[in-house]
Amino acid sequence: MQPSLREDYLEAIQLFFKKNARPPHTGELASGMGKPVSMVHPDMEELVSAGDVTVSAEEAITLTAQGQRTGESVIKKHETLQCFLSEILGMDSSTASEEACTLEHAVSDETIDRLGQLIVTRDRSRHHRQGKHAIHEGDRRTGEESGDSCQSYSISDFSEGEHVIIQCIHGRACAQRLLDLGLVPGERVTIKRKLSNGALLLQVKGCDVALGPEITSAIGVERSP
Amino acid sequence: MKIALLGNPGAGKSLIFNQLTGLGVEVNRYPGSSVAIECGPVCYKGEKTEIIDLPGIYSLDGSSEEETLVRTFLTSGGADVIAAVLDATRLERNLYLFVQAAEFSPKMIAVINMIDDAERQGLFIDEKALCSLLKVPVILTAASEGRNIDRILPVALGEATRAGVQVPYDHHIEAALRSLEKNIGTPAHVNLLALQGIGDDPVLLDAAGAIAHEIELRHHMSVSQIIATNRHNFARQITAAVVRQSAQKKPYDLDSLLTRPFPGIPILCMILFLLLLSVFVIGSWMEGIVVAAFTTSVITPFTTLSLPPLWDRIGFSLLVALQAGFGIAFPFVFSFYIGLSLLEDTGYMTRAAFLADRAMHRIGLHGEAIVPMVIGFGCTVPAIMSLRLLKTRREQTIAAFLVTMIPCSARTVVIAGIVAAFVGIAWAFSIYLIVFVLLILTALVLGRTTPGEQFGMIVEMSTLRRPQARLVLAKSWIRIKEFLFIAMPVLIVTSIGLGLFQYFGWTELFEQLAAPVTVTLLGLPGYASTALLFGVFRKELAFETLAVLAGTADLGSVMTGVQLYTFAIVSVLFVPCVSTIAVLYRQLGARIAILTSFYTVFLGLFIGAIINILMK
Repeated sequence: MQPSLREDYLEAIQLFFKKNARPPHTGELASGMGKPVSMVHPDMEELVSAGDVTVSAEEAITLTAQGQRTGESVIKKHETLQCFLSEILGMDSSTASEEACTLEHAVSDETIDRLGQLIVTRDRSRHHRQGKHAIHEGDRRTGEESGDSCQSYSISDFSEGEHVIIQCIHGRACAQRLLDLGLVPGERVTIKRKLSNGALLLQVKGCDVALGPEITSAIGVERSP
Repeated sequence: MKIALLGNPGAGKSLIFNQLTGLGVEVNRYPGSSVAIECGPVCYKGEKTEIIDLPGIYSLDGSSEEETLVRTFLTSGGADVIAAVLDATRLERNLYLFVQAAEFSPKMIAVINMIDDAERQGLFIDEKALCSLLKVPVILTAASEGRNIDRILPVALGEATRAGVQVPYDHHIEAALRSLEKNIGTPAHVNLLALQGIGDDPVLLDAAGAIAHEIELRHHMSVSQIIATNRHNFARQITAAVVRQSAQKKPYDLDSLLTRPFPGIPILCMILFLLLLSVFVIGSWMEGIVVAAFTTSVITPFTTLSLPPLWDRIGFSLLVALQAGFGIAFPFVFSFYIGLSLLEDTGYMTRAAFLADRAMHRIGLHGEAIVPMVIGFGCTVPAIMSLRLLKTRREQTIAAFLVTMIPCSARTVVIAGIVAAFVGIAWAFSIYLIVFVLLILTALVLGRTTPGEQFGMIVEMSTLRRPQARLVLAKSWIRIKEFLFIAMPVLIVTSIGLGLFQYFGWTELFEQLAAPVTVTLLGLPGYASTALLFGVFRKELAFETLAVLAGTADLGSVMTGVQLYTFAIVSVLFVPCVSTIAVLYRQLGARIAILTSFYTVFLGLFIGAIINILMK
């Protein structure tokens, strides 16, 4: 199978999963990609043997960790390229999307990093120049693009017993100690106890850590699946 | 040979240290630091070896006093072998520190402690696999049972090697490290610190700062975050390769009781109340014995010596200072320390801090401040020493004021001896009430006015466990030694000073000078000023001196109830004792020491005057 075809499949499966919160069936995947089901079947077998997906008895296609990584990276590349082509080069958005579909398979990570960088810096300088409207646009886009500019929830918005994934930590003073205790971006933590003033008892890396409200408000998180 | 124990707080370093060294422990202080390092000599196969217990830390990249101290210790090659103590039940988090220490490339061994707890939790650690991954000798120990502790010395002395682990950093970080090494010639671990803004070479910091800025722009993450994430991920990989978890029934979690507001807070209040009550009961009982024994065996024989009057006076003052020091140090402070060490070793204090966070916020502090506050009920001196727990100057300042106002055990003696005995129990409690109201008012004002930033609480909950009598005693013993070291010299000097003061007949002069305040403002008899002056030396001396000067132990017959009440409240509130002033000066500087002293003097006289005017 062509590497680009593999990436297209993984991207499509990941997108479907994100949209519908369940894995697609072979038929749904085929119709989504505009291919006949008979063509998709052998391709899936190939992807299974490459360790990218697993197919259940009901033909639900689930990505493995490896497949998910590739899928995510392709989606990110697609979004960055599309954004670059439409917003910065000024192409119309459907052409930009088609173009991005082709380019996404060949472009290197480094280029995507730099492009993402360029878009963000441009947005920032624009929002300085143009005021309010651009701030919203810029914030929305950087949020979608990279996920690491922190527009996520604060951990204090969640309640006892919930699981969250750390996105970012604002502020410098307390950051180092939190990092040392394992509260790093990407870490999954459980809220074990919440007091009425917002102080939290978190379980992180098998240890319990108590944090005061001024600290918890500096931790951005998203809900963990 | 020198072997240093390095590890996270609560990894069991102190217990291992105690089992290796016994009681022959010295506490050293590094110049310019208030952090204690414990050293103990041992003899192994005829070779003299020194064991050093470094303070427990989470990381070598921080800027706290402990972290800086351990970092300097490692860079200066303070020990020949580093024995890294790791908690088997929290291996991943503990390996984070290990991989950092390995970057300094000392000779190391890894001591995986608390293996008994790990076994109970169904964790199995593959010693061989860990050994080959870390490339240092690994010993699995259970310090609470003494298991394998005897292997530490031979392995550390014979087989320690430079750890071969290397964290795979993000490729931008790796590139930065290479470029710094090439251009400036500094080794990787120095460059890693420099990228995070730590170090003292301005050229290196400058270059590293520029690179760090570029990396941060690209990653939308601070360099510290990237480095920490890399290290944690690496630690996770190692852990995944060596730890097997077998299914285990979860034991009952006491924390479901202790960390909930109900019944957690009532339990907290009860534990603290019981602690204070038992210290007071045991303390006053023991104090009676110590003071009586000292009087009959030392002071009475001394007075029969009939030395020349000046020497008699100086010698007597010296002995009284010793008596005062031991009379309060052992009964009250030591028994309080035992109770406190018990609470700490069970791991309860961290729960208390979590629960107290809300209440402490009301007075401009946070949960961790409960520790100095609780210690303050025992004795102010160690309470001030423990203010180091609080991370910002603002928090330390507020807490310093409050801790000096908390009625310590000596002030409790004054309240009990004067007010409860001659005026009434309810009146005695009213003094506590007044003190607490003033304390809260002070805190509210300080919280609004003290400059600086609030840091907030970050506390790792220690595992709940049964405390070890040996460790509790050893810990209390080291603390009481520290207390005596600070308090004794001050007590002796002040006592001799006051003795000479009396000898040259200056007391009357002082009483005349102070008369406008004592007699007019406070409505007390003239000699009360001398008693108050002695109270500065040691709080319950105010009560004892008053009895001596009044010429009777039945104070009720010479002073009115209002006078006794005023006297008690003034002596409880005003001026922390000299040892407190000394330790305030040492920990927080002259300014805070002077400010708190003046504030409390003012407060004492002000409240005393109000009571005098209102109740006369």
